[in-house]
Amino acid sequence: MLQGALAGLAAGGLYAVLAVCLTLMSRLVRVVNFSQAATGMFGGFVAVWLVEEAGLPIWLGSMLGVLLAGVLAAVIGWIAATWLSEADTTTRSAMTVGPLLMLISLSFILFGNKPQPFSPIIAGPAFEVGGVVISQVTVATVSLAIVVAVAMRLVLTRTAVGTMLRALSERPTTAELLGIPSKPLSIAVWFVTGVISAIAIVIVAPSQSNDATSLSMLIVPAAAAALLGGFRRLDLAVVGGLLLGLLSGLVAQIDEVSLIRNFLPFLFIVVLLLWTQRKEVWDAAR
Amino acid sequence: MPRADSRLVRTGLPVVVAIVGILAGYLLSIGLSGYFVFLAVSAVTAAIAILGLGIVTGSAGMIALCQLTFAAVGAWVVSLLNVLEAPGGFVLWLLAGGAAAGGVGILVGLPALRLRGVNLAVVTLGFAAAADVTLVQIQFPGSKDGVPVMRPETFSSDRSYFFFSIIVLAVCGLVVYFLQRGRWGSSWKAVAFSERGTASVGQSVQAAKLTAFAVSAALGGISGGIIAGQVQLPFASSFTPIQSLALYVLAVMSGAYLIDMAIFGGFLWVLVPELLKRWGIPQDWGFVIFGALGVQALTSGTNLGQGIRNMWWRRDDARAAAAARARASSPAPASASTAATTSAAAPASRSAASGHALSVEHLTVEFGALKALDNVSLDVPAGSIMGLIGPNGAGKSTFVDAISGFLPNAGGTVRLDGVSLGRMSPTRRARLGLRRTFQQDRVPPSLTIDAYVRFVARRRVSSAEVAEVLEHFGCPPARTRLAGVDVGTRRLVEVAANVLARPAVLLLDEPAAGLSRAEHLALGERLGTVPGRFGTTIVLIEHDLDLVRTVCSTLTVLDFGKVLASGPQDEVLADRAVIKAYMGETEML
Repeated sequence: MLQGALAGLAAGGLYAVLAVCLTLMSRLVRVVNFSQAATGMFGGFVAVWLVEEAGLPIWLGSMLGVLLAGVLAAVIGWIAATWLSEADTTTRSAMTVGPLLMLISLSFILFGNKPQPFSPIIAGPAFEVGGVVISQVTVATVSLAIVVAVAMRLVLTRTAVGTMLRALSERPTTAELLGIPSKPLSIAVWFVTGVISAIAIVIVAPSQSNDATSLSMLIVPAAAAALLGGFRRLDLAVVGGLLLGLLSGLVAQIDEVSLIRNFLPFLFIVVLLLWTQRKEVWDAAR
Repeated sequence: MPRADSRLVRTGLPVVVAIVGILAGYLLSIGLSGYFVFLAVSAVTAAIAILGLGIVTGSAGMIALCQLTFAAVGAWVVSLLNVLEAPGGFVLWLLAGGAAAGGVGILVGLPALRLRGVNLAVVTLGFAAAADVTLVQIQFPGSKDGVPVMRPETFSSDRSYFFFSIIVLAVCGLVVYFLQRGRWGSSWKAVAFSERGTASVGQSVQAAKLTAFAVSAALGGISGGIIAGQVQLPFASSFTPIQSLALYVLAVMSGAYLIDMAIFGGFLWVLVPELLKRWGIPQDWGFVIFGALGVQALTSGTNLGQGIRNMWWRRDDARAAAAARARASSPAPASASTAATTSAAAPASRSAASGHALSVEHLTVEFGALKALDNVSLDVPAGSIMGLIGPNGAGKSTFVDAISGFLPNAGGTVRLDGVSLGRMSPTRRARLGLRRTFQQDRVPPSLTIDAYVRFVARRRVSSAEVAEVLEHFGCPPARTRLAGVDVGTRRLVEVAANVLARPAVLLLDEPAAGLSRAEHLALGERLGTVPGRFGTTIVLIEHDLDLVRTVCSTLTVLDFGKVLASGPQDEVLADRAVIKAYMGETEML
């Protein structure tokens, strides 16, 4: 039982990292990026190709793949910042459905629709607690999630760039009038979250079902986790991710309810949203 | 052209188009080669699915990323009924599949009652992803044993099955056409623009959203059912979330709320991959192209169908303008059309006997520590026009919100024709005969004036009645599209439409804002005739004291949420407290 729950923790860490990225994006650049996992997936696949076909060492291939993921995210961010800078969150988010579709299809074209032979960067058990093995991957993703959340919080509250970013997110036009370079800054946010997501995906992909669709659809549990924090709070996003991972690990143990497992993120989303939005009877305040 | 003709054209033309389409489908089913017949069925199924998306995403403005999941439900039900050898045959199974998908659509749509925009997109994508994995696990009924889905007997060959699918498409197209032009269609477009505006005209927001989801999902289910009959052994791979995303993008790009564009979208759905295949390019590039075109459409906020129509309309408008200029330059008897508006017999004022159309007692609204309305009591005599005035922040709009049911926590009682409204929803209040207009623009631009007026009126009105009330209020003719009308005029249309609804009480929240001075006074005169002609009591909120003076027999002055004075106009305007609140201390000296 416990073993099962903890086995889900590796995935939970991944959800948490992606959820933190989604939360940052939502807060800083007003978008729910549907292609958040897809850019990471694509970078990961390119990394696999670089290692397997081009014969690069694994660290170099992975680094290039992760960088590419960041650049792809930056390109999407550039589109959003150029043509949709005044658009509402919904329109900006809907736009990212296009890149999601394109990235999945492109990966089918370039790499086929089979799972990729990711070679694990990190593998093996880290330690054992009471007879339950915790893998290194679990440790890596969970700590990555926590580190990113804490680091981002520090950046946002303690540094000049963080202040600019918050100004940008809350009053974009005012920020621009104050001379804050809004476009480069928002593209930078896209780039950084793209890189972070890709790192998490590259770490976890070897131990996950890692075809293009499964990896891209990680956006669903990630969004579920981010919703626990209302797309605002980084700490709750981490908690949500880990919780969801534990839950699906637990449910996977019980055969009778394994079908429910598929719907777990969905139900999580519906319940959370309905609770947080229960007072939103009307679309406009007045 | 007489109106009766245009009405006949409006109902008759689509039927003719559908019949022509079916005939063309028949000819194609004979003429096309076997390979193309199969592709053509795929185009038809995609077109039906996109038709559905056009309703939920295009008209009702909700992002739904799970259209093929609904299709899978339809296909699953058809396969199941096939395995069970249920009575009724394929056509009945297809309907059952559509109904089942519609039911699932309502379930998925339930969150939409609180969720909007991107949250709803996340929910629907989550549903698509979960259903996809589940479908792979449980498989379609009969797929393990290889039980093929039995097509309808008369349409069992590939060619005739294509003909069958064309008939289904034509029927779906007709149904959608009439739904879009009916009450449901107007409610979808209204709810996409403003939920408050929708509720305030007596249309339930919940019903609008759920019907949109249900019809959309049912069309998805029918599309899936046809796929089941086409491939006979459906697999989960035909209904993946990726394809749902692609359909969504295609729907946005083509402008799928327009029926012709939905069919065009279905055509593209097979044409692009087929062309790529001919040119020796991997077919997956098709979705890359769709994705890129979708990004283009979403960033520019346009779509193909609307773009073409806009071009068409601009040309039409230019022609109409030129014709109007030509008419104006020739000396024509121009006086005949003006001021012929008093023909309708005044209906008996229904609330004349009861004394007060609206009576408010101890109405109190608190926002935290702030009392926006403090123990407000007033009576509006039936058949009168009462002015509600007061400085900015006096609580006038809060008063309207509270009376019309948008502030359910308001204290006190409100009676309409003696009936206590209690905690009724805005929709129910509107249906009982309490209407309001908004300071903000709440008139959905995707409707024509005619469709909007009929939607708001909530009763059968003849074209003559519509034309008359529009002319009375100085609005553009009924055929005009609201998108091309300025905001001030839109709010006039809002007033005219609500008057035509013949409510017992109509609350007008600064109807003249955005109008010129001359138009102000004209509006005042027109409003003056409303109680007599339509039996409606009016509460008019206005800043323009001249307008108030000319129209209102009684006045109520609000200041800081309290009634400062209430009574006949001249008495109230002479009240020292009122003058002080309005003009400030210095004027008193």
